[in-house]
Amino acid sequence: MKDSTINEDDPNLLVIVIDINPFEWEHPSAPLSLNEALQHILAFMNAHLAGRHDNRLAVIASHVGASKFLYPELNGPIPGGRVGTKKDANAYQVFKVVNDAVQSGIAKLLQDPRPALEERDVGSSKIAASLSLGLCYINQALKSDGMGHVRPRILVLTVSPDSSSDYIPIMNCIFSAQKANIPIDVCKIWGKDAVFLQQAAHITEGIYMKPSDPRGLLQILMFSFLPDMYSRNYLYLPGQDQVDFRAACFCHKKIVDIGYVCSVCLSIFCSFSPVCSTCRTKFAFQPLLPSARRLGAKAGASNPGSPRPSTPLPTPS
Amino acid sequence: MSKFQTSIHEYLETLPLQTFNRLYQKPATCLAIFRLLPPLGKQIIMSSLYVDTPIPVTDMKLWFKESAGLMKQKEAMQRLKALHIFSEERGNYAMNATFLEQFRNALTGGGNSQSFGLATSTPDKHHVDIAFLDDYATKQWEAILHFMVGTTEGRPPCKGVLNLLGRSGLMTGGSDVSSHADSMDARDFASQMARQDFGVPKITHKGFQFLLQDINTQVWAFLLQYLNMAESLNMDLVEVLTFFFQLGSLELGNDYSSETLTPTQTHLLEDLKAYGIVYQRKRGSRRFYPTRLATTLTSGTPVMLGSHTNATKLAAAAAVRKGEEEEGDDHGFIILETNYRLYAYTDSPLQIAVLNLFVHLRDRFPNMVTGVITRDSIRRALTKGITAEQIITYLTAHAHAQMRKHTPVLPLTVVDQIRLWEIEKNRLRPVQSWLYSDFGRQQDFESTLEYASELGVVLWSNQKRRLICITTEGHQAVGSYVRKLIIRQKEQAQQAQQARQQHQQQHVPSIAS
Repeated sequence: MKDSTINEDDPNLLVIVIDINPFEWEHPSAPLSLNEALQHILAFMNAHLAGRHDNRLAVIASHVGASKFLYPELNGPIPGGRVGTKKDANAYQVFKVVNDAVQSGIAKLLQDPRPALEERDVGSSKIAASLSLGLCYINQALKSDGMGHVRPRILVLTVSPDSSSDYIPIMNCIFSAQKANIPIDVCKIWGKDAVFLQQAAHITEGIYMKPSDPRGLLQILMFSFLPDMYSRNYLYLPGQDQVDFRAACFCHKKIVDIGYVCSVCLSIFCSFSPVCSTCRTKFAFQPLLPSARRLGAKAGASNPGSPRPSTPLPTPS
Repeated sequence: MSKFQTSIHEYLETLPLQTFNRLYQKPATCLAIFRLLPPLGKQIIMSSLYVDTPIPVTDMKLWFKESAGLMKQKEAMQRLKALHIFSEERGNYAMNATFLEQFRNALTGGGNSQSFGLATSTPDKHHVDIAFLDDYATKQWEAILHFMVGTTEGRPPCKGVLNLLGRSGLMTGGSDVSSHADSMDARDFASQMARQDFGVPKITHKGFQFLLQDINTQVWAFLLQYLNMAESLNMDLVEVLTFFFQLGSLELGNDYSSETLTPTQTHLLEDLKAYGIVYQRKRGSRRFYPTRLATTLTSGTPVMLGSHTNATKLAAAAAVRKGEEEEGDDHGFIILETNYRLYAYTDSPLQIAVLNLFVHLRDRFPNMVTGVITRDSIRRALTKGITAEQIITYLTAHAHAQMRKHTPVLPLTVVDQIRLWEIEKNRLRPVQSWLYSDFGRQQDFESTLEYASELGVVLWSNQKRRLICITTEGHQAVGSYVRKLIIRQKEQAQQAQQARQQHQQQHVPSIAS
């Protein structure tokens, strides 16, 4: 379906999710400071906007415990409006508006310490929330575009490790994106591979990449993540040899290799439980394991007490 | 890729390297030219923009998928080389250093070239809004078109415009324009045209075709003509082009200072004002406003449509739409039925005049005209040099919203019929040929025909009248064959009548194809 419908003249809508998790960016071992990386990312945004007059861009910052639109500012002045920033004859106005919005937005977020940090939030960003925001934005953009030619895609620039509590919302986002034919590109700037996002790129036919040297970020962005959906038909782009398909269990949010799956709703558990916490199905049998007696006793003891809704809905943010 | 992009490309590709090096000194120009490239051309530039070493040709090939990808790469590279952005040296691709530096500046906002237009520092006391600018642009531009179709709407355009119309061969001052206008001094020609009465400058075939194109193509056609003229007026080509591209990067609804402009560009500003591309409140004012015609110069989006990208543009588009209603819809007003009837919801004399080129108009109502497409009306248009393709494109581009719900937009029967009427006109095709006639005997005729058809040079033959038509290429072989036949006959036959064969009467018959 893709190849035939993608037209050379289709405008592109790129939603960039930037992970600005200060725990990672300010880490002593970080090879790149946020400001340096931001310079690269801004140039990349401009490159996207330069591509076509009607290319569109949205930028979402994914902070610890919060995610926020940086551009277009939802309640701020209308983008491209006359009452904008001070004009500079050396810069293309469209670029300048975006860059200023992104830079000031990030500065504001970082200055404002989040008082209400929940325990489990620490150490990783709200990628799932940002993805949901991005998908909603794309949905709105597609609806309001009468011609139906806009080609959306999402690019996630992340540094945080996976947060297993995010598993279900992220998977929900992934499947929504897959259904809507929106590729999710992921650039894990450094650190370990992001398992969930790797799956995201794989399932939505996006690009996943972990650069060997993060200091050459701009070149990597330009080379691998800039090509639009039309150009991708003709280019060799980095692929994934191996995808880590591990999932997180629904009961303790642990990442598991082998687990128990509810035969009715396909929820994943790290240990056997006689009642599925998601769909309330009762299992009237014991799993066939040598240590069935021991496991059964354990499952009874640590029966998942906090059932989480896992209906496939994007998490509200 | 739309037509205007092709035309500006063709023009740019004729320029020498030195001109390009000067053009690329402005980031705005780099950006504008970049946007004219095919998608993969853009990607090649972006991919190599931050690579500091030249890229081996073989390496770049590895970026692309086989066959389809490599074909696209070849196409893109050809364009890039023609625009002198890339050059190939010893198996490496190297990017033009000026372009590289300035394009990076464009992306990062560095440098100090001020090529994106200096905004005025003080607010304008007589600030004008977007709706006003749209109105102004439409009025100015339509005045030119009105003048071309000879309607008496509006005032006649100024000398510069008349001059350009004559120069570009869109209109003629009664006599043959191409031979005249070139020899005549431009100013003389303009004044001559201005002196003459309204109806006297006549629209040419080229002008009719011009009318059917979309507005962006029209503007570029005008500007390119202006460029051609600029050389003869001793204007610096690079400054003119730079200014055009700068205009494309400006923002609608903002005012810009004309203080940083060079004298050439100030002069240019005056002329562009007449076309409605920029607005200046009064002559010599220190600020100017680009109109929608200017800001969409390099974008390729239909000018008067407004795009659906964001709130301001939507508002602006609404304003435009309102403006259009006042002076006759510019977009989407034609309904074409399968029975060849055409209904056009417009009261604009311009649109009606354009429709009248190829539609037999019947009734006119306050807000609409009806007509019917007939063989005669199409043939009339065809004789004016308009092609069927242009008519179909025009009808598609201006189809009513109701029509757009169908695919294809236009009824197939009508489209096919218009094409057939065009083909009908091209039934006859002259071919240089030799006619062989007066074969004495049937067997001579048959053997000659057989010989000629083996060579594949027979255009036409008639068994009864013993006539063969041979192409010019085949004449020598067939001629010598026939000569041989005659000689053999002379030697052989005493009793038989002499076969008289006449040949070699060169003429140009018309052959039914």
